[in-house]
Amino acid sequence: MRKSRWIGVGLTVSALVLSGCSAGPAGTNVAQDTKAPLELWTRTTPGGAGEQATKRLAEAFEKATGFKVQVTAIFDDFETKLAQRAAQRDLPDIVMNDVTQVGTLKSQGLVREVEPGKIKHASELTEQALKSNQTPDGKLYGLPYSAQASALLIRKDWREKLGKAVPQSWAELADLAKAFTTGDPDGNGKNDTAGLTATLSTKRGYASWYFSNFLWAGGGDFITETGGGKYKPSMSTPESVAAVQWFRDLGCKDNVIQPGSVTMPTPATNETFEAGKAGMYVVGPYLLPRFDKSLGKDKYEVVPMPAGAKNADVLAEGLSIYMMAGSPNQAGQDAFGDFAISTDGQKIGMEGESAFIVQLPVNKNVDITQVRSDPRWKTYADIYAKSGHYAPSIPNWTPVRQDTADTVSALVADCKLDTKAELSKLDTKLTATLQQQGISAS
Amino acid sequence: MTVDHAKPAAVGADRPAVKRAPAPKARRRSDRDGKWWTPWFFLAPALILFVYFKFIPMITAVTMSFQDVQPYLGNQWVGGENYSTVLGDEAFHSAIWHTVVIAVGQTVGSMVIGLALALLMEGQSKRLKFLRSAAFLPVVVPIAVVAELWRIMYHPTEDGMLNSILGMVGLGPSGFINDPDTSMISVIITGIWRGAPYDMMIFLAGLAGIDRGLYEAATVDGASRWRKILHVTLPGLRSVFSILFVLAAIRGLRVFTEVFLLTNGGPNGSTEVAMTLIYKLGLEQNRLGVGAAGAVLLFLATLVLTLFVQVLRRRRDA
Repeated sequence: MRKSRWIGVGLTVSALVLSGCSAGPAGTNVAQDTKAPLELWTRTTPGGAGEQATKRLAEAFEKATGFKVQVTAIFDDFETKLAQRAAQRDLPDIVMNDVTQVGTLKSQGLVREVEPGKIKHASELTEQALKSNQTPDGKLYGLPYSAQASALLIRKDWREKLGKAVPQSWAELADLAKAFTTGDPDGNGKNDTAGLTATLSTKRGYASWYFSNFLWAGGGDFITETGGGKYKPSMSTPESVAAVQWFRDLGCKDNVIQPGSVTMPTPATNETFEAGKAGMYVVGPYLLPRFDKSLGKDKYEVVPMPAGAKNADVLAEGLSIYMMAGSPNQAGQDAFGDFAISTDGQKIGMEGESAFIVQLPVNKNVDITQVRSDPRWKTYADIYAKSGHYAPSIPNWTPVRQDTADTVSALVADCKLDTKAELSKLDTKLTATLQQQGISAS
Repeated sequence: MTVDHAKPAAVGADRPAVKRAPAPKARRRSDRDGKWWTPWFFLAPALILFVYFKFIPMITAVTMSFQDVQPYLGNQWVGGENYSTVLGDEAFHSAIWHTVVIAVGQTVGSMVIGLALALLMEGQSKRLKFLRSAAFLPVVVPIAVVAELWRIMYHPTEDGMLNSILGMVGLGPSGFINDPDTSMISVIITGIWRGAPYDMMIFLAGLAGIDRGLYEAATVDGASRWRKILHVTLPGLRSVFSILFVLAAIRGLRVFTEVFLLTNGGPNGSTEVAMTLIYKLGLEQNRLGVGAAGAVLLFLATLVLTLFVQVLRRRRDA
């Protein structure tokens, strides 16, 4: 009797706790309180320059508007931690993260729609940046606050030592990479340098991210819009296959990609370039302060990527402010977004030699040459304007990026694989993903 | 191996010939000794923590495995769809296979090397204590540090640490974790390096419990050292083997951190295990229901394995 009584009590308590835990969805109809402090998460290294810059922006915002903001910097597994908070139905009020997250966040109901009418500086945003935050239905689910594109970083001292010119074509790029690999450009008498450093780990889909710089310029694409918001996979088209094959040959035939690239996420790849183990790196401007410090500003140069078979398109990326669902202070969320994209907010975000969170401004009224005298920033701004290519806006880009990263990384890791066959298999996977998201053309 | 230092444990010799006192008598004594709620009072803190941090999340995971989880839009009941998605996924099949390979590889490797280390380091000497502590260090080093250490050691060029050693004997260079052909064995070796010292400590405890008289009798009979190990040590460690097997197999089936940090399942999915796939599906792709279904299946596999070993043990002991 006693045992059964305890079992009964235990079950009742568990049921009560469980039912308490799984009460209805939090939704967006939360009682509003404009005095509630805003919890802000930003994807940057805790204690690093990005966190300082975000805090500086938050302080200026508090001063200007009276709202309160608590900044939390998280870098590793940011999306995972956000998913955990979502599962607890206790999201931060504001999230500052990559623009490619917009589809995922919207489809999961984790962000609320941005109402341009409530953001008075929205009309000052560049069309390119604004469009990148729109979902296929044309609605805005994020507010851009920073933009960037990729450029080619070259070890200038190595290039000059070997008497080579800045590459103007993919063939010249490959030639320079070979020279950096075999010509002992650091003069240490050892065969320990690579031509190109590449982030080809599958973590967070990095390989896909990196390879997009070559895919689009080669005329290929991950998925292609067929009209009416429908897409078909495009990784096995002749253009995509040629781009993959060309890139793959750098690793498999020429051996000019840094050893271990297929398991390297971005931190390890950055270290390879700054440690003088590789001579070229296709990357955004956010690493300039770091490489200036570790490598020396005079040691490397920033040039546009040479054009591929089609054009010189490179990956354009952006950072967005997401107004998360369930916030008790939506007025504060709107006010923060508005402040961050204003002329003042953008300039504060760009201040400093290293502690800045705005790479390229998204406000039409901010001229980068007026804020940063370093001409390398103008190079990046021009590349972004002319050749910046954003990932398409679909309900959830993450699975597309992950599947393509798996295949690209695999093709470089295993040189025995058949390129065309693997890309056809990838297209089959992409078809399933598109069907799952309800945007497949077939 | 030393056989003359431990106190004679006389396993089995001191066992009482009579059976234990009948249960009703014991219960009456317990009732006399204290209030019925006293043990529950002391157990309560642990029980509350277990309920809140273990059992509620476990039940929630089972519920989620039948849902399309969207916390802010409302979860949708999808029945067995998540399970059919997971079970029909080719990636899940290969992840299960890789998990079994890693579990078997790490379990066998750790036990063999752990036993060898234990036999070498059995004894009371102060020097041995130092050596045992040194050998045990990999277990207490955080796994993130272990992974980074091995990543450096596995550097795939000729001047990489392990490749330099291979070069001395005319082999390599190997791609290690960067080559799909060698990535699995590289991950297994890292796991063995970390798991063997743990097994060693359990074996050492088991060795201390073996009746020294058996060794003396074997010596009198003229048994060689190898024969003593085969006919005295190994049978004496039978229960240790079964405990270690269960612990190592569970550890192997749930392998995640070293794979995630060393290869993230790559290259070309060659080291993708169940846990890394569940992590990707659930937390990176935000398909929490599908991830939960995979986690429940893994839990069931672990449970079945544990029960299977327990049944085998009982049959053997009976």
